[in-house]
Amino acid sequence: MNGDAQARTKVLVIDDEAPIRLLCRVNLEAERMEVIEASDGPAGLEAAQAGLPDVILLDVMMPGLDGWQVAELLLGDERTRSIPIVFLTARAELRDRARGLDLGGVDYVTKPFNPIDLAPLVRGLLDRVARGEREELRQEKLAELRASMSR
Amino acid sequence: MGRPTHLCNAENARASCRGAAPARVRFPRPVSVEEERGIEQRGALLHAARLVAGERGLDEVLDELLGEAMRLLRADAADCYLLDPARRVLRCAAARGFADPLVGFVYPADRGVAALALERGGPVAVETYGEAVHELPHAAYRDFDRVLAAPVSWGGEVRGVLGAGLRREGGRTFEPGALDLLEALAGLASLALAGEERSDERARQARIGAALGRIAALLSEPLSAAQTLDAAARAAADALGGEFAAVLLPEAGRLVVAGAHRVPRGLRRREPPAVLVEAAADGRSVAARRVREDARFADGWRRAGFEALLAVPVDGGGRGLLAVFFADEREFGRDDLEVAGLVARAARAAILRDRAFESERIARALSQQLARSGNALEPELDPVAVLAQVAEQARALLGADAASVALLEGDELVLGAASGPDLEGVVGTRAPSTGWLGGDAVQLRAPVSSADVSADVLHGGADAVLERGHRAYAAAPLGGREGVVRGVLAVYAAEPRAWREEEIEALAALAGNASVALANAELYRRLALEHAQSSAILANVADGIVAVDRDGRVVVWNAAAERITGVPASEALGRTPFEVLRRELESGQGGTNRLVPIMRGEEEVWLSLSEAVMREPSGEVAGRIFAFRDISAERVLERMKSDFVSTVSHELRTPLTSIYGFAETLLRSDIGFSDDERQTFLGYIASESERLTRIVDALLDVARLDAGTLEVQPVPIDLRTFLSEAVDASSQPALGNGGRFVLDLDEEVPEVRADPEKLRQVVDQLLENAVKYSPAGSVVRVEARARPEAVEVTVEDEGSGIDASQAERIFDKFYRGDETQPGTGLGLFIAQGLVSAMGGRIWVRSEEGGGSRFTFSLPVANEAEAA
Repeated sequence: MNGDAQARTKVLVIDDEAPIRLLCRVNLEAERMEVIEASDGPAGLEAAQAGLPDVILLDVMMPGLDGWQVAELLLGDERTRSIPIVFLTARAELRDRARGLDLGGVDYVTKPFNPIDLAPLVRGLLDRVARGEREELRQEKLAELRASMSR
Repeated sequence: MGRPTHLCNAENARASCRGAAPARVRFPRPVSVEEERGIEQRGALLHAARLVAGERGLDEVLDELLGEAMRLLRADAADCYLLDPARRVLRCAAARGFADPLVGFVYPADRGVAALALERGGPVAVETYGEAVHELPHAAYRDFDRVLAAPVSWGGEVRGVLGAGLRREGGRTFEPGALDLLEALAGLASLALAGEERSDERARQARIGAALGRIAALLSEPLSAAQTLDAAARAAADALGGEFAAVLLPEAGRLVVAGAHRVPRGLRRREPPAVLVEAAADGRSVAARRVREDARFADGWRRAGFEALLAVPVDGGGRGLLAVFFADEREFGRDDLEVAGLVARAARAAILRDRAFESERIARALSQQLARSGNALEPELDPVAVLAQVAEQARALLGADAASVALLEGDELVLGAASGPDLEGVVGTRAPSTGWLGGDAVQLRAPVSSADVSADVLHGGADAVLERGHRAYAAAPLGGREGVVRGVLAVYAAEPRAWREEEIEALAALAGNASVALANAELYRRLALEHAQSSAILANVADGIVAVDRDGRVVVWNAAAERITGVPASEALGRTPFEVLRRELESGQGGTNRLVPIMRGEEEVWLSLSEAVMREPSGEVAGRIFAFRDISAERVLERMKSDFVSTVSHELRTPLTSIYGFAETLLRSDIGFSDDERQTFLGYIASESERLTRIVDALLDVARLDAGTLEVQPVPIDLRTFLSEAVDASSQPALGNGGRFVLDLDEEVPEVRADPEKLRQVVDQLLENAVKYSPAGSVVRVEARARPEAVEVTVEDEGSGIDASQAERIFDKFYRGDETQPGTGLGLFIAQGLVSAMGGRIWVRSEEGGGSRFTFSLPVANEAEAA
C-alpha cells in the first residue's frame, strides 16, 4: 500500500469549530491529502461510515455527542473499528489524554498545535499502522504519558 | 424476799431483749444463736438463784442446781460432793446423769478431779479425764472425758465440790466460759450451804438471796456490760444494806466507775483514792467504818454522802473493786465480807461472759453498721455531703453524742462537718494540726482516744466540739493518697467513756471508708466538672465528634455530628457507627484527614475524618474517637475550580489554535494562497483574537466582582432602541434553520439607569445562552415590560429548560448546566454581578422541557436625568 505512494490519503476532521476544520483542510490538502469535515459527533459518525477515511482527527469538546462518545461508537462499529483515531483536544490535562488512548485512540494532538505538523503526523501514523504496529504505537504513547504523569 | 424481784423466764427475757434493743444498734436484726444461748444461760442462772433463795432443803436445792448446771453447761452429768473435813472424805450430796445411784457414795478427798479443785481452791478443767486421774473414785466416771470442777466455799473454807462432765462417746467439748458458769453455780451452792448452816439468819439470807436473784434477773434483761455492772452494784448494795454501790474497774491505767447503783454524780467523777486503787491492784478488800475520819480518803471522798465503805476485789476483765457505801457508820463482820465476796464472785462470771459476749456482739454490730455506712457512703458524690454523712455515721456507729470530720488545710485542721446537738457554728472552726488529740491522730497517723479529757492537760481551742461540754474523745485519721493524712474523724461523749478496742477499730475502719468515699466524691466532682467542660466543648465545636467504647458502640455523638450526618444522638448512642451510617469509620490504622463518603438521607456527604485510638494502660483498645468535618461543599468548590481551570484552558486554547494555526499557515511558503483565502485566514485571526479578549475580560470582571471593585457608569438608556440593536447584532450568526428572534416590547418603556457597556454584556450573555440551548428553528423572545419604578427585560427560549436544582445554582460562579457545552461557567455569574451593580435583579423561571425565561430588572431613570 505504501508502495503506491501517491494514493490519496483520506482524513476526516470532526470539530465544532469551523476555523479549526479549515485549518486542518488547508494544511492537509497542501500535502495532497483528501479532507472531509464534520461539525459535530453524529455528522462525524455518518461521514466515517460513508467515507471510510484512513484517519480521523477527532475533537473532544463538542456539544451534544462529545469526542469520547464518538470514539467509542466508531471503535464499536465493525465498519469503522480499524480507522485510527487521533484526538484533537484543548483539554491539556494528562488524564484527558490518557483517557483518549485508553478508549482506543492511537495518538493525540493538543491544541494549540502547529498545522504544518499535521500531515507528517498522519503519514507517520499510517506507516506504523501499515506495518501492523497500531497497538504498539498506542502503547508507546501510553508509556510516554505515564512517564510524564509520574514525573 | 425483802423486795419484789423482777423475774422473767427465758421466753420473756428474749422478748425484753428485743424490746430494749440498745440505743447504739440502729437496725433491727434477728437474735443470733449466740444470743439465744446467752439468754438461755441467764435464765438458768436466774432459776438457780431462785432455788437458793427459796425455802427448800439443802439436798433438794443442790439436786436442782445440778439440773441447772447440766442445762447451762450442756453437760452429760453433774454431781456435788460435800467435804467432811475431819475424815478428809467427800460424800456425794447430789448427782445427775449417772446410771449408778451415787448419792451417799464416799471416797477419799485426795482422789479424782475434786481433789485437784480442793487443792487449788479454785475451778479446774480436765480435758482427758483418764489421764489426769489415775484412780477413778467410782466406776460411774469411767466413760468421762472432759470434766469441770469448782469448789464450794463458805466461811473461808472449802466445803465441797461441784462437778460436771462430758462422756467420751459424745465427742463434744464444753463451751467457752463453761467453767465460769460452773463457778457461779458453785457460788450459789455455797449460799445454799450458808443458808443451811446459818438458818438463824433467815432474814439476812433472804436478803442475800434476793440480791442474787436481782443479779440474775437484771442479767437476763440487758445485753450491755455496763448495765450488768450496774446490776452487780445494785445487788451488792441490796445484799449488804448499803446506800449505794459501785463497780470500779481499771481502764486506760486508771480505776473508773464502770457500774454504779445510786452513786452520786459528784462521786462518780471523782478520782478514786489511792487506798482503793492499790487494793484493787493487790486484790485486797477495804473496809472503812468511819470514812469521815479516815485519813486514807481525800476530802472529796470524805464528804460524798456516805459514812462507811466496804470494797471487795472483783475480777471483771481486770482487777477491780466492788464497793458498797453505807449511810451510817458501820462495823463490818466476817459475814459482810463473805457476802460481798460472794456477790462479787457471782457477778464475775456473768460480767466476764457479758464482756466476751458484748465484744463479739459489738464487733458484729459495728461491722454490720460499717458495712451499712460503706453502702450509704458509696452513692454520695458531693464531698460536702460525704463529710456530713461520715460524721452522722460515726456518731451512730459508736453511739456517740457527737462526731466531727476535720480536714487538713496547710497546718490547720478545719472542721468540715459535725453531727450532734448544740453544735451550731462549729463547722469551719480551725485548730492547729499539731494541736492536742486531733493533731495527735494526724501526727501519729493512728487512732487516739481519751476516756475523760477533763482529767488530761488543758486543751483550750483544741477542738470546738470538745469545748461544747464533751468529756470523752476518740479520733481516727482520714487517709489520703499515698498514706498522706487528710484529716481526722472524731467522736465525742458527754460523759467520760472508756472506748472499747473494737469501737476504735470500727472508727478507724469508718475513717478508711470515709477516705475512699471522699476521694471518690472528689474524683467524681472533678470528673463531673471535666465532663461538663468537655460536654460544653463537644456541643459547641464545629467538627463532628463521635466516640465509641471498646465494643465499638457509640458513647458520644455531638451536635455537629448530628448536623453533619443527619442522625440524632438518641438514635446513634449504643449502636455502632456502621449500624448508624452504613459505613465503617474505623480505618484500622487510625490516621488523619481521611476522606470518607457517607449518605445523609439521599445526599452524599464527604467527611474529612481523623481518628484517635484510646488505649488502656495495658495497651488494649479502650475506645476510639472520630472527629470529622463535612467537606462536601469544599469538594464541590474544589472540583468546580479545577473544572474551571481546565475549562478556561480549553476556552483560551480554542481561539489560540486558530490564531496560531492560521498565522503558521500564512507563513507557509510552499503554498500560494489566494487573496480570498488570506482574507478568510486573517479574518479568523482577528475574530478569534476578539474572542480571546472577551474571555480575558470576563475573567477580569469576575476578579473585579470578587474584589468588589467593579465600577458602573449609569446613564439613562432607552431600552426599546437598545434591545433592538442588540438583537440585530446577535441575529447574524445565531439561529439557523429558520429560528428567529421575536421582540415584544411595551409601547411605553421608560428610560432606565444603566451602564450601556455592562448592559450590553448582560443582554448578549442571555441571548447567547438562549441561542446555545435552543433547538434549531426555534424562537427566542425578548420582552421589555414597564413595572412601577423598574423595567423588566426577559429573554425566553424554547430549549430543554432547566430543573429546579439547576435553577438554584445557575448564577453561581463556575456553574455550568451542560458541561459538554463550551463556556467558562462565568457568564451568568457575571451577568448577575453586573445587574446588581446597576441596582437591578436577575432571576430565572423555567420548567424542564418547557424552555427558560431569564429576566432582569433595572431601575427607572428619574425625570431630571431623563430630561
